[in-house]
Amino acid sequence: MSALRDKYAIVGTGKSRLGHLGGVSALGLLAEAIKNALDEAGLTNKDVDGLVCRGPDDLYAHHQMMGARLGINAAFSTTLDNGGASQILAVILAVMAIDAGLATTVVCGFGRDSWSRTRVSQQAHMQNELVPGGQRPREHGIEFGHIGAVAAHGLGARRHMFEYGTTREDFAAVAMAFREHALRNPEAMMKTPLSLEDYMAARMIVDPFALYDCSLMSDGAGAVVVTSAERARALKASPVLIKGFATFNNTKGWHVDDHMITTSGEESAAGAYRMAGLGPRDVDTVQLYDCFTYMVLAQLEDYGFCKKGESGPFARSGALRMDGALPANTSGGQLSEAHVEGMLQIVEGARQLQGVYGPDRQVRDAEIALVSGHGGNYVRHSTLILGKA
Amino acid sequence: MGEYRKPVPIPSIESKPYWDGLREHRLLMQRCNACRRHWFPPSTQCPNCLSGDFGWTPMSGRGKVFCYVVYHRVYHPGFANEVPYTVALVELEEGPRMISNIIGIAPDRVACEMPVEVVYEDIEGVATLPKFTPAPRPQT
Repeated sequence: MSALRDKYAIVGTGKSRLGHLGGVSALGLLAEAIKNALDEAGLTNKDVDGLVCRGPDDLYAHHQMMGARLGINAAFSTTLDNGGASQILAVILAVMAIDAGLATTVVCGFGRDSWSRTRVSQQAHMQNELVPGGQRPREHGIEFGHIGAVAAHGLGARRHMFEYGTTREDFAAVAMAFREHALRNPEAMMKTPLSLEDYMAARMIVDPFALYDCSLMSDGAGAVVVTSAERARALKASPVLIKGFATFNNTKGWHVDDHMITTSGEESAAGAYRMAGLGPRDVDTVQLYDCFTYMVLAQLEDYGFCKKGESGPFARSGALRMDGALPANTSGGQLSEAHVEGMLQIVEGARQLQGVYGPDRQVRDAEIALVSGHGGNYVRHSTLILGKA
Repeated sequence: MGEYRKPVPIPSIESKPYWDGLREHRLLMQRCNACRRHWFPPSTQCPNCLSGDFGWTPMSGRGKVFCYVVYHRVYHPGFANEVPYTVALVELEEGPRMISNIIGIAPDRVACEMPVEVVYEDIEGVATLPKFTPAPRPQT
């Protein structure tokens, strides 16, 4: 797989407006983000011949709807089904499609209107009502009131606390570092500082997770344009090289073996490091899939930034802060910027390497960025390692 | 007792024997006749060796709390009067893990590795739910 290292690049990144927007659609927001990504690359819809995108789970043939909106006939297009791991998988698939000669320039994107949807009706406020009928759990959980992603990840967090003495103060260190980053990002939804007292005083959602352990409910979209490194040289934006990637899915299930505390990130990380010819010590910044504070801790261990069980002290040491050893989720992440299922993590990782930010928001001398994706019933994972061109 | 307002389990073709067993207060799970392992949730082949030769076997009903969470938020109106309530991943002595409620103990007293045993909650006209309650520590 290392034959693909540095052969392909991200040549444009784009976001839509982010936040509690209201009156927007997931498709409309994604079109906005894709237009921004193409503009940055100096490309138009006429240059695009590939589309790998995703939206809310109840949208059928999403890529076809996007093609219609964007005026694109695609030599290669599809919609993925790996939850929060889909967005990096889209980039992986784009590289594979281009390498196979199926396409030359592929747009990858994800957009959602989760906040707007929950305002459509009170009923929709219930997390389970956001899930399309056919995908709703029917037995072995729902009858006990076991509903949604907060509790599912909370089970893992609890076991990690039991095995390693991880505490809610450790979770807080993640939430506080990312919030501090959001305050440097004018696009971020969260605008006020978060203290340990604020964190501890927040209402409990599903113990051990309180409000600030949970990612945001957002309307928003992100997109990137992928093409060959060779073609990238002729384009407007400074390209970001795709150095390594991998996926791993613990498809046996979240409840099986030790999957809740040693996630599929472990194998996905190993694959991506191998392809890139790099290891955790080479990484200058990480953009980890932060659906919940605990998942950041688990991934820090699974990616080898600290030993298993030591992520709590690692986070509390300040490592994840902009001036720390491993600046993490430098846009504020899904906990404090906006939750667009990992798409904005790819955008942020690429932009840090393009060096587009001012000094307060830029990771100094960033050469290598690692991005992760996690989701799809909590067991699917994807990793992307990007490098400065 | 009024109308049952919590989500009603909808058995699949494959899980029907499990739910039928619960009605008789028996916790049945599949056991592979080839490799002798138990598994849950129900399916057509042993996930270990893919043998389709299995029997529905009664479990002891004893196990431990592998991990648990305490719901404070109401995600379904049927649980509005239940919060805070405990949902646990229970690991049965025979191996399989299953989601259930821990009842008969305050949520803040539940702990990982705590021994539990099954209790059957009959909901008339709906189903019997296998819930768990603290058990005496096993003799060592």
